[in-house]
Amino acid sequence: MGLLVFFVAAALAVAGGIGVIAFHEPIRSVLSLVVVMVALSILFLLLSAQFVFVVQIIVYAGAVMVLFLFVIALLGPAKEPSRGRLRFQPWLAALFAVVFLVLVWVMLQGVQYRQPTLTDLKVFGTVEWIAVQLFTTYLYPFELTSLLLLVAAIGAIYLSKRNIEDL
Amino acid sequence: MNTGQLALLVLLLPAAGAILLAGRGWRLPRIWTKIVGPGVVWASFVVTLVLFINKASDDVTYFTWIKSGTFDVPFNLLIDNLSIFMCLVITGVGALIITYAVGYMAAENDASFARFFTYMDVFIFSMLLLVLAGNFVFLIVGWAMVGLSSYFLIGFWYQRRSAVLAARKAFVMNVIGDVGMILGAFVLFTTYHAITYAGVFNALPCANGKSCIGGDSPTLELAAFLLLVGAIAKSAQLPLHTWLPDAMEGPTPVSALIHAATMVTAGVYLVARMHPIYDIATYAHASVAIIGAVTALFAASIAIVQTDIKRVLAYSTMSQIGYMFLAVGVGAYSAGLFHLMSHAFFKALLFMAAGNVIHSMHDEQDMRKYGGLFRQLPRTSWSFLIGSLSLVGIIPFVGFFSKEQILGAAFSKPDNTVSLVVWGIGFVTALITGFYTGRMWWMSFAGKPSPERPVEHPHEAPSVMLIPVMVLAVLATIGGLIQTRALGFGPQAVSDFLDTVVGKQPWEGGVADVILSLITMALAGLLFLAAYRIYVERTWKPWSTRFPRLQRLLERKYYFDEAYNFAFVRPMDAIADGGFTHVEQPLIDGVVAGTGHVTEAGAGSLSLTQSGYFRNYVLVFLAGACIAAILILVKSNS
Amino acid sequence: MSIGGSQLDSSWFLLLGAILFTLGAIGVLVRRNPLVILICIELMLNAVNLTLITFSRQLQNPEGQLFALMVMTVAAAEAVVGLAILVEIFRVRDAEDIDDLSELKG
Repeated sequence: MGLLVFFVAAALAVAGGIGVIAFHEPIRSVLSLVVVMVALSILFLLLSAQFVFVVQIIVYAGAVMVLFLFVIALLGPAKEPSRGRLRFQPWLAALFAVVFLVLVWVMLQGVQYRQPTLTDLKVFGTVEWIAVQLFTTYLYPFELTSLLLLVAAIGAIYLSKRNIEDL
Repeated sequence: MNTGQLALLVLLLPAAGAILLAGRGWRLPRIWTKIVGPGVVWASFVVTLVLFINKASDDVTYFTWIKSGTFDVPFNLLIDNLSIFMCLVITGVGALIITYAVGYMAAENDASFARFFTYMDVFIFSMLLLVLAGNFVFLIVGWAMVGLSSYFLIGFWYQRRSAVLAARKAFVMNVIGDVGMILGAFVLFTTYHAITYAGVFNALPCANGKSCIGGDSPTLELAAFLLLVGAIAKSAQLPLHTWLPDAMEGPTPVSALIHAATMVTAGVYLVARMHPIYDIATYAHASVAIIGAVTALFAASIAIVQTDIKRVLAYSTMSQIGYMFLAVGVGAYSAGLFHLMSHAFFKALLFMAAGNVIHSMHDEQDMRKYGGLFRQLPRTSWSFLIGSLSLVGIIPFVGFFSKEQILGAAFSKPDNTVSLVVWGIGFVTALITGFYTGRMWWMSFAGKPSPERPVEHPHEAPSVMLIPVMVLAVLATIGGLIQTRALGFGPQAVSDFLDTVVGKQPWEGGVADVILSLITMALAGLLFLAAYRIYVERTWKPWSTRFPRLQRLLERKYYFDEAYNFAFVRPMDAIADGGFTHVEQPLIDGVVAGTGHVTEAGAGSLSLTQSGYFRNYVLVFLAGACIAAILILVKSNS
Repeated sequence: MSIGGSQLDSSWFLLLGAILFTLGAIGVLVRRNPLVILICIELMLNAVNLTLITFSRQLQNPEGQLFALMVMTVAAAEAVVGLAILVEIFRVRDAEDIDDLSELKG
């Protein structure tokens, strides 16, 4: 059963990934990415990461992708770009990507996997579990991340103003 | 104050003067320079007198300068009769000349005026260091420094190209001598492992009553010859003589002090100081005499045809120093040193009187444009006459006593053909000396004024320039009376004073010497008068019309300058040019500029990676990630 | 143990993550629309998240999931700022092609 869910989700993810890079129009790429994200969230669930599954859908697919859609709407339809200037780029890109993939595969070969122990799903991956870690051991990164968000927000506001006096 | 402190004072007073004038001289009013410049030398003279009166004799070590294994160089001063004698001459005559220079250099601006006296004080200090030094290292230091001071002073009017070239020529030839001296000191050090005079002399064979068997050795001869090279260069003897006439480009006080009275006599001092070595190294010793005699004749012959009054005096100096070399070369050390002193008196006198004449004739130095100055410049003329008669060697002037003592010693030295030969040369030279001196005096002072005279009514020089001249005239007149050995009787104060250091002359003169001296004097005096007939009355034709080729040979100074130019100067220039085009430019400039070019090229090719395209940069990231992955794999597998 | 064994173990998830990452990399390299490049970067980040969660499960370690949360937050912030810059560039000049933005040449 798990295997089946995995393969479906994996197929969706790969299809979405190919779609992201293959479609000409940006709006289709964004929507493909949304598909990828949903597939990934299923996989997270499969990996007993319940909280992350929810957050992925709400925050990533729900907010960040919506942001992208808004920007696409703002910028209007993409014009067809002319022939690129770098002639060797696609070939080199393919070469290096394949090399990279092969290397990663070889690296993964060496990894010894053991059966993960059975976990208590009432504990592992739950909201409480994450929250406890977040507010005790990992408080510092948590606070820094919030600061980062604040900075990003200010930056975005500043960058998008036409006249500085309007701020 | 003990001897050591007094000697140090003698040495350091001029140095202090030089430092004061160098630092502040040009900023303070001129009166300070006029006081400090000569004043420190007078003070040094007074201290030297104190040393003389106290009959000081000491070898004082002040501190150890270098100590490295067996090489132990102390800063020590050897104060004995010889060094006190030299110091008296240097500071006494030097003080007179520097006082004279206050008047002579009055036309300079303040900065140049101070610069002149700075250099003069530096020179006095260097010369004193040379004669007071007690070891070879400081001798060489003083030796080099007098050469340096000479360079500064010859090229004092550096805006003049001829002066700069003359200074350079003097310095280069002096350096050749310096090298010889240093090599000589090396030879002595490696043989005897001592660097002080006391150390070396005590280690010689024949020292301290040791037997002289096997005394002379090739190394000693070599050392003596090398030291002689230094003496020849410094004293402008053949073959390193060509710089002295050119050195007349310097101001007249410089010519008087450095190129007549003191620096050029350093070679004579050297041979006298090194007499233990020369007494043993007979070949080198004989060479000293031969070189001196030949130079004396050579220079006297050239002096006959010179038209510039300072050049006559320059060649005359070369000739008289030849006499001094002759004397120390046959072993009559005190005779040579007495002639050193007397020559300092009358040559400085002659130069300064000539300076008075040049000054009054508005810097005209050509004697053919003088004539008839006797009536207009009486005091200068009389002083010049006294100096000239002294040079020729007429009784009762000091030149007679010193020159004839030398010739008498050379003539009467037993069992020695070399000394007889050099006596013969010296005799002929004395006659020629009479002739050219007469020519000089008659042409300038007697007869009718030349139509080309620049100044119709010349004025005598100011007192500050006249008084030193007259002091020296007095000294030249009475100086001979302290050493009348040439006459076979009478006081011998100088010999007695010096013999304690340089050794008593082992042979006595005879009546033959005295008679020969008087004959020499008479003949020289006759030639002096003969010059009147030729150049003033014009009753006899000048010899130059009879022998025009000989005249040209002499005028060209036996073509020595041309020969040296061809043999040394041109090849060196060629080597320097070749070095420049073939080594300097391609290699060194190539390496230096080439490094720049290579860096530029490298940077140029590297900057091609900065294409500006975002995608290229990402590709590089990915390539780097691949390489990192490969490295991890390799590491984990190995 | 080879990946892709009969059992469903971590290796499957990691391989999938690698494939998604590579796809994202290819996208960044090949596409010329700046917006699409940003989207591909998001894809790469997601692949990394998958890897993190996988290891978290494998090693029973909360750090993986927390790190994935942080990644998400940072990705959000980065998307915000990146898009703001992009909009600014679009406003000033019509940069359809990222190769036009090559003033840093040389």
